[in-house]
Amino acid sequence: MMGSGIRSKTAKARLINFFRWILIIFFAAYTLFPLLWLVISSFKTNYEFLAESPFSLPQVWQVENYVKALEVAGLGRMLFNSVVVGLSATLINVAIASMSGYCISRFNFRGREKMFLLFTIGILVPLNALMVPYFVIINKLGLYNTYGGLILLYCAIGIPMSTVIIRGLMDSIPMEIEEAAYIDGCGFYGRFFHVCLPLARTGIVTAATFQFLTCWNEFVFANLIVSSEKLRTIQVGIRYFTNQFSTDYVSMYAAIVISIVPSILGYVIFQEQIISGLTSGAVKG
Amino acid sequence: MKPTRSDRRALAAFMAPAVVLILLFFVIPVLYVAVVSLLKWNGITSPEFNALRNFSLLFKDKAFTRSIINNLIWALVAGGIQVPLAMLMAIILSRKPRGWKFFRTVYFFPQVISGIALAALWRSIYNADTGLLNGLLRAMGMGELACDWLGGLETAFPAVLIYWVFYVGYYMVIMMADITTIDSSYYDAATIDGATDFQQAIYITIPLIKNTSLLTCVTLASVLGLRQFEQVYMLTNGQPANTTSTIVLYLYKKLQDANYGMASASAAVLIVVGAIFIICIRRLFRERSAKISGLDTKGVL
Repeated sequence: MMGSGIRSKTAKARLINFFRWILIIFFAAYTLFPLLWLVISSFKTNYEFLAESPFSLPQVWQVENYVKALEVAGLGRMLFNSVVVGLSATLINVAIASMSGYCISRFNFRGREKMFLLFTIGILVPLNALMVPYFVIINKLGLYNTYGGLILLYCAIGIPMSTVIIRGLMDSIPMEIEEAAYIDGCGFYGRFFHVCLPLARTGIVTAATFQFLTCWNEFVFANLIVSSEKLRTIQVGIRYFTNQFSTDYVSMYAAIVISIVPSILGYVIFQEQIISGLTSGAVKG
Repeated sequence: MKPTRSDRRALAAFMAPAVVLILLFFVIPVLYVAVVSLLKWNGITSPEFNALRNFSLLFKDKAFTRSIINNLIWALVAGGIQVPLAMLMAIILSRKPRGWKFFRTVYFFPQVISGIALAALWRSIYNADTGLLNGLLRAMGMGELACDWLGGLETAFPAVLIYWVFYVGYYMVIMMADITTIDSSYYDAATIDGATDFQQAIYITIPLIKNTSLLTCVTLASVLGLRQFEQVYMLTNGQPANTTSTIVLYLYKKLQDANYGMASASAAVLIVVGAIFIICIRRLFRERSAKISGLDTKGVL
């Protein structure tokens, strides 16, 4: 159907087509140019960076900026922390959300839809506004400045989204399959582990991907409930190393690049999951 | 399926963890904010009941009123400019021009990069001496326009606000998913009747997504606009002279000062303003759609 616009020979259609491409390229360039500049700058010497034009290439590609970024900023440790916290919070979150998604999707218990409504409202609550209670609760639980505190909090704030995604997928599994399993003597747990979980695999992977990305990119609470340098996640790290490298621009850029690369890589690999998680969560949420 | 008697116990056990977490991290915190916003409390000494004094103090504080105004501008720009741009691109890309998958991937990049890393990138771009923006201006012979973008009273807030308006990937992807579910026979019929692409977008696509993904995106954009924190925290920390402050940044600073009462009061304002926004947006969409198209107005949110 696109053809009418592209192949039509009238001047007006050509003009529209021209503007279409201007827009497409503008938005792509707007996203890519700054990133490209960042990457190129991160391979320059500070002298080159300050003296030459923004898009000139470095004489020699300075890999040592990256070595320095890793050593001075302690990025390795921060990446490790982010992986530990992100993976743990994702595993627990998805396990809990699978259980609640299963119940809400497969059983008609009283107050079911009200409960689900509570979950969906949870998606729209401005979590940043809850900084004070989160700070107090984590402190009361004795989890301030621990992995556990971050993991618990991340796991909890992702429950509404993960439940909505997983319930959505479980709803699409025909009830007959489960009834057949029931007649064959399959109990509550059997139907969960042997029927619903395997069939809802894609939904669970989607929820997990989405949850991990959220944990990986989270800054506000990581900044709030972790104070020691040893436990800093990469996002909190960015805040500190941008000050640490105050005049060593190129190493700072290298550090920013290192912090961005995992997200981009993960996105390119799990693109379908991320997009479907986003759309299923958003369209229903 | 109706739960059997033995299922019931298992059901309760399966729901329990999620319900406990929702209570502990959603329901109780909201109630907590409501209660503490009425107290004078530093978190250590015993709290005093303060009635609505926190709120009157808040609205007398110029830093706070400026923050609210900034957030409202932010929400309006997000809902009124960013989302329409995203819709335009969704309509264009859903027609699958050459390379559309590549462009969709690229537009979505800023969504997977953390807000704090993006802010670090833009802080470098806006840097007065070494930044890309001033570098480009000088290279194009417009050096007199170069300035300290984040330091100027006039330029700081627009600079913080604008860079992110053109990151349309998030909303675009949501709307594209919706547009691709539209029955192609509508477009085929319109093409036979001689409708241009533009007319098809106006009379078919937009009415059909209005009460689903467009409503979702406007709501999300406004709500996210009200929640802004990382960008301003990283780029300017509210400076110069609080011109770039937001409610959450204000809240954060009050929490740093251990002023729990004021921090909670500003959180309460944020939650209430957010709820009002969501209700207003839904009203707006429903009434207009009922008048214009008479479509099924059952909103999704």
